[in-house]
Amino acid sequence: MIRVAKKKREKKVKYITGQGISKARLAYEIHDLKRHQRLEEYKEVFYQCGKCGTCRTVYKDAYWSRVCPSGEFGKFEAYYLGGKNLLAWALTSGKLNWTNEIAKIFYQCSVCMACIQQCQIPEIHSFAGEWLMAMREEAVKLGYGPMAEHNKYIEHIIKENNPYMEKHKDRLKWLPSYIKQSPEAKLAYFVGCTSSYREQDVAVATAEILNALNVDFKILLDEGCCGSPVYMTGQVEKAKNLAEQNINYFKDAGIEKIITSCAGCYRTWKDTYPNKFGLSHGIEVKHLPEFLRTKLKNGQLNFNKELKMKITYHDPCHIGRHMGIYKAPRDVLQGIPGIELVEMTRNRHNAWCCGSGGGVRSAFKDLSAFAAKERIKEAKETTAEAIISCCPFCLNQFKNNIEANDIQAFDLSELIKKAI
Amino acid sequence: MIDSEIVLELKNTVGEKYVSNRPEITYLYHYDFITAEPEGKCDIVIIPGTTEEVQEIVRIANKYKIPLVPWVSGINFGSIATPRRGGIVVDLRRLNQVLEVNEDDMYTVVEGGITWAELQGYLEKNYPNLRAGITWSPPGTGVIPSCLCYGMFDLGMIGGSGAEFLNGLEVVLGSGELVKVGSCSLSNYWYGRQPLPDLAGLFIGWEGTTGIVTKASIKLWPKMPFREDYTGIGLTVDDSYPTLLKLSKAGLGICDILCVNFGWGQSIQELYEKDAVMDAVKENMPDFISLITTQAYTEIQHEAQCEAIKNICKEGHIRLLSASEGAEAVIPPPVQYWNFWNFTRGGGGQWIGSYCSTRDVVKYYNISRKICLKYGKPPQFYSRILFGGHYVVARSNVNFNKNDPDDIEIARKILKEIHDEVQKLDGVVMYKPPLWAVKYYKDKTFPATTNLINKIKKLLDPNNIMNPGQGIGDD
Repeated sequence: MIRVAKKKREKKVKYITGQGISKARLAYEIHDLKRHQRLEEYKEVFYQCGKCGTCRTVYKDAYWSRVCPSGEFGKFEAYYLGGKNLLAWALTSGKLNWTNEIAKIFYQCSVCMACIQQCQIPEIHSFAGEWLMAMREEAVKLGYGPMAEHNKYIEHIIKENNPYMEKHKDRLKWLPSYIKQSPEAKLAYFVGCTSSYREQDVAVATAEILNALNVDFKILLDEGCCGSPVYMTGQVEKAKNLAEQNINYFKDAGIEKIITSCAGCYRTWKDTYPNKFGLSHGIEVKHLPEFLRTKLKNGQLNFNKELKMKITYHDPCHIGRHMGIYKAPRDVLQGIPGIELVEMTRNRHNAWCCGSGGGVRSAFKDLSAFAAKERIKEAKETTAEAIISCCPFCLNQFKNNIEANDIQAFDLSELIKKAI
Repeated sequence: MIDSEIVLELKNTVGEKYVSNRPEITYLYHYDFITAEPEGKCDIVIIPGTTEEVQEIVRIANKYKIPLVPWVSGINFGSIATPRRGGIVVDLRRLNQVLEVNEDDMYTVVEGGITWAELQGYLEKNYPNLRAGITWSPPGTGVIPSCLCYGMFDLGMIGGSGAEFLNGLEVVLGSGELVKVGSCSLSNYWYGRQPLPDLAGLFIGWEGTTGIVTKASIKLWPKMPFREDYTGIGLTVDDSYPTLLKLSKAGLGICDILCVNFGWGQSIQELYEKDAVMDAVKENMPDFISLITTQAYTEIQHEAQCEAIKNICKEGHIRLLSASEGAEAVIPPPVQYWNFWNFTRGGGGQWIGSYCSTRDVVKYYNISRKICLKYGKPPQFYSRILFGGHYVVARSNVNFNKNDPDDIEIARKILKEIHDEVQKLDGVVMYKPPLWAVKYYKDKTFPATTNLINKIKKLLDPNNIMNPGQGIGDD
């Protein structure tokens, strides 16, 4: 055994005593940076990047594995965070002019933010995700974004409340008649578009779980797209309109709490609505695993069946890196008798993105498939029988990209349903 | 002028996906985005996947007499991977594999574009009992360029400079020929460069102007069971550095010794230059911070070494804090010590980094300190003692806001002034030198030596396509 220090270095030094120093400031304090601002607010910091490449690999963990689907697929510097930081500098300082090709680079990214987790420059570590989004907003403002494929589904969202080219009237077609709802309930299950139209087993399992736990809930007939696919492509105003519609509708229905089984919907309701759009809706928002973990802890969730299964868990970006939820899904999965949870090398904040988010799956199909296959390969290396996620979009992405049926993909809700 | 015919030939060589002449792609290769050196111009970027593809790229470049710049991360603080005369940047990132690890002779054969992160990750996963000497540069930087450009590692006390970690090379010459140097030139072993004529010197320190290294053998070292990392604090560099030199010549299992001053210490702590102490000496604050690492095979050996280190430091009035007692000042490399390049929170930094005699290192510091203070920048100094105390590296870092032309100009003045003044010490030679420093050394070098360099350059790169404009050879 090598003898090394046990204590960790104190990273953030804010005050040092001694003559000549009144207060040693960190850079984001100097610039008074805040999240969710316009590009202008960040333009004095992104050139701090020296394109050193730390954003390309996991930092000091997971065997320094590669983390950036966009960069690994695109290969050139421009596709990594460092490249994007400096392209942002070039564009805001007049060194380069906006073109369709530059806009495409900013869109050829799932905004999974794995790169940002690795960078050790505080300003970039804390705020690069903000300017990646702000660059998309800028592209939209200048007419270079979103991509044509995005426009197609965005038009459909505005018309039919979903990006899947489906009719709004069919949104609840998945709902079995045996699901008990309480018309007076103040808790709503926000199903989301993917579970409503593509991964309906997730919706059914979630509703059944809520019934099994005797939770009074209801599903609102006119629930609309949360707006995440619109917001993520830089169309803030359109996404905000969708948010307002949803909020008004849910408030009018007397909803005080929402449970959702979708990572994207969760992030949008919980963070984007109040913090980006300034719409403080006052509705409590819970992601299904968070809700279930509480039930598990207080003894209300009991598993009656054993599931003899070796699984691995994929952290969806929208609840993981975007919202910091890593433990709840693992606690719930490990609570199921018979489940053996094995981790992939890249997990939690270092997880490799499935490649479906940020508008990538619709506009950059090759990149999307590349990312998914890489994650599936990593899952197989654990020898797990199934890859579990708690995002229907990730699930759908895995199902579409598993080729040899040598691994299965499930949502967490599907396993819970089987075990109760 | 690059025409579409050349781009097409290159695309036919490596595939369309790996060639670009689009401005949003080439922009990221035209400048290193750190230094105060002038920007260059990149016409085409190409990312080869095999040695054969590299050879073909060199053949095409010779045919059209287009410059080629070998590139891994582009970071070197001398701007030596910046295309000075336009042309093709050969980004080696796809050549990033570990090809072999020889545990008996303790070396690894790696491809030309491998990064520190990739090498370290591979060893952690597959050979946890072996370690590479690693630079303090960021994990995304290249292993082989570090060695070729005299970078220094955290095993520098036992292994010397990065160049001395190289056992052998495979290189595509500027002429397009593929050569191997070292034991690998006549066997399957890559254990060393001895006892053959040492041709590695045709590529070490040449800044990519003689060929593109596609494979290299790098020395590895055993991980010892016992290790201690000390942080030593002293009042001044003048008083304390001699103790480090004494330690370096005392054996004691020391694999790394380095020293930084208070200014450098402030910069790595994510502080802002404007809030920093300008002159620690004047303020009577400890201006000398050292890091000493010792390792041993047995506990008794380890304890004896630690005891001796403590005694020597005590005699030299250096206060020692040990990592095992919680004073872990430095996390093991590779590490993104980007803050010492971002002290002004403007992402700009450059150094006068030099190899010099152990006799002159303290004088070097005092010269650079005075100049930094004159221009209102906190002095930042770093020094590493190498190869059992045979020579040292001394470095003065200067930070600036790369978005502020005035600050860039001040940085240039400081760098130039430090360079000119430390030259008076004799034997101070910059590594990874920018063009202006190369020109300086060329004028100073023994004429027949310069002549020999020119002849070699011409022989290996007859059309002068390899990284031209860096001042090497008859350039």
